[in-house]
Amino acid sequence: SKRRRLMMFLPHELIIQILLRLPVKSLMRFKSVCKLWFSLISYDSHFANSHFQLTSSKHTCRILFLSNSAPQTRSIDVETSLHDDSSAGTLNFMPSYLEIKGSCNGFIYFKDFGIWNPSNGVHKEIPYSPIHSNLDANCFFYLYGFGYDHTRDDYLVVSMSYNPDLDPISSRLEFFSLRANTWEEIEGTYFPYMNASDDPRVGSLFKGAIHWLACHSDKSINVIVAFDLTERKLLEMSLPLPDDFDLDPNFCDLWVFGEFLSLWSMGNDSVEIWVMKEYNVHSSWTITLVIPIHGISTQYFSPICCTNIGDIIGLDGTGLVKYDDKGQLLEHRSFGIDEHGSQVAVYVESLLSLPGDRVQA
Amino acid sequence: MAEEVSSQMNSLSISETNPSSSATISLVSGDDIVFKVEPTIAKEMETVQSFIDETDGKITTIPLPNISSHDLPYVIEYCEKSIAGKITKEFEAEFVKKLNNEEVKELFLAANYLNIKKLLDFLSQVIADRIANKSVEYVRRYFGIENDFTPEEEAKLREELAWTFTGVDPDDEDEN
Repeated sequence: SKRRRLMMFLPHELIIQILLRLPVKSLMRFKSVCKLWFSLISYDSHFANSHFQLTSSKHTCRILFLSNSAPQTRSIDVETSLHDDSSAGTLNFMPSYLEIKGSCNGFIYFKDFGIWNPSNGVHKEIPYSPIHSNLDANCFFYLYGFGYDHTRDDYLVVSMSYNPDLDPISSRLEFFSLRANTWEEIEGTYFPYMNASDDPRVGSLFKGAIHWLACHSDKSINVIVAFDLTERKLLEMSLPLPDDFDLDPNFCDLWVFGEFLSLWSMGNDSVEIWVMKEYNVHSSWTITLVIPIHGISTQYFSPICCTNIGDIIGLDGTGLVKYDDKGQLLEHRSFGIDEHGSQVAVYVESLLSLPGDRVQA
Repeated sequence: MAEEVSSQMNSLSISETNPSSSATISLVSGDDIVFKVEPTIAKEMETVQSFIDETDGKITTIPLPNISSHDLPYVIEYCEKSIAGKITKEFEAEFVKKLNNEEVKELFLAANYLNIKKLLDFLSQVIADRIANKSVEYVRRYFGIENDFTPEEEAKLREELAWTFTGVDPDDEDEN
């Protein structure tokens, strides 16, 4: 005989405790449960912040793949197969050319456009910087970044540029504060840096600072520069490699490998992965893995992120490739060569909004 | 089946009654079944402990009208493991395996009533995991929530959020 049970209903404050522990995708679906849930999930920044913190150990990390020739987005959960994708919403504002220049707390920064959270559709435009807007100035922008300053609850877009006509070379560092809604330039500091490689770099966000490879223009050596988002200062660190090491800056970059800041460097048939075991301690740089790339037809592999169990996902020029933590090729997914170029960003799912943003359903 | 279990529990608690152990606390479920527990167990239940404290420990029989004799043994088991420092992932998985979604909800309410923070946190995660892939309709039924959208509003929302409606489990009739 089955015991008769009355249906029991939970009070709203208890339901919130459950909702705080749900993945973003479930919460977005449950916006259509009722109007109360809709506004809680869409507009309550306190709820969104608590949710982001409570689920921090298991944020869903995704790779966004954008093609410049078709207004479509692909999004892949890094913990699943590279072939298992779902649409990540749609870009309801399609600028003519998209360049991804940073990612933080679920937001993706597009150069000359603004910031977008693909999980909840929140977006905000960022105006051109004063240096960018000054048409008389001959400026080369070579470092971009985007990060969060937790002490001020503020997001910063950061860029470095220099005028190649000037000697000696001195870079200018500007940042846009989402909270202040304005650009600011760090003045009175000499930044003897220029681009290490041909293409502009996107910084790696690690321990509250944005890290880039750059060339020290006085010493003519490659270094790591880091912009501390709280102190709002630029630091310099040395690369792990011995001085005589032949580093081609066009074939190496920084990324974050699990809990370490890491450098990958590509040779003819392999990619070396270095990690800085202790932050900002030069002697702690260790070579941790050598990945053979002869199994990849393009002979190119640049790591972008890793999974919970330490598999490494990267780009091969036509799509995504996954290796295990021993350097065994696991999976390959080609998106084909896109003549208009494509863009990739790694982001976590979040419900967060930006200070003073416009909210979309 | 559940009645058998609770009557066993009843006889068990009676057989454990022992005049010398005056320190034990009697918890009386809503359906009048007595459970004898050690005072250390009562300490895990903030609601029970504050009741004991307020009466200077003179009253050791505590009525818990909101908690059934079906749920109370689970609560006691969890508290026993907790004070023994034996809450492991394996124990927790085993603990909720035998509970259906309605039972988990009941236990969650019991944990809230007794103010057992650890059990409350654990069960909110269990419920979250169990509803994560459920349909909007299932969730409305589970929480007793009325749909206050117009059909047009709801259709529009579903269209905008179409990507979130992939990979949803079919509703299980037995669950509700």
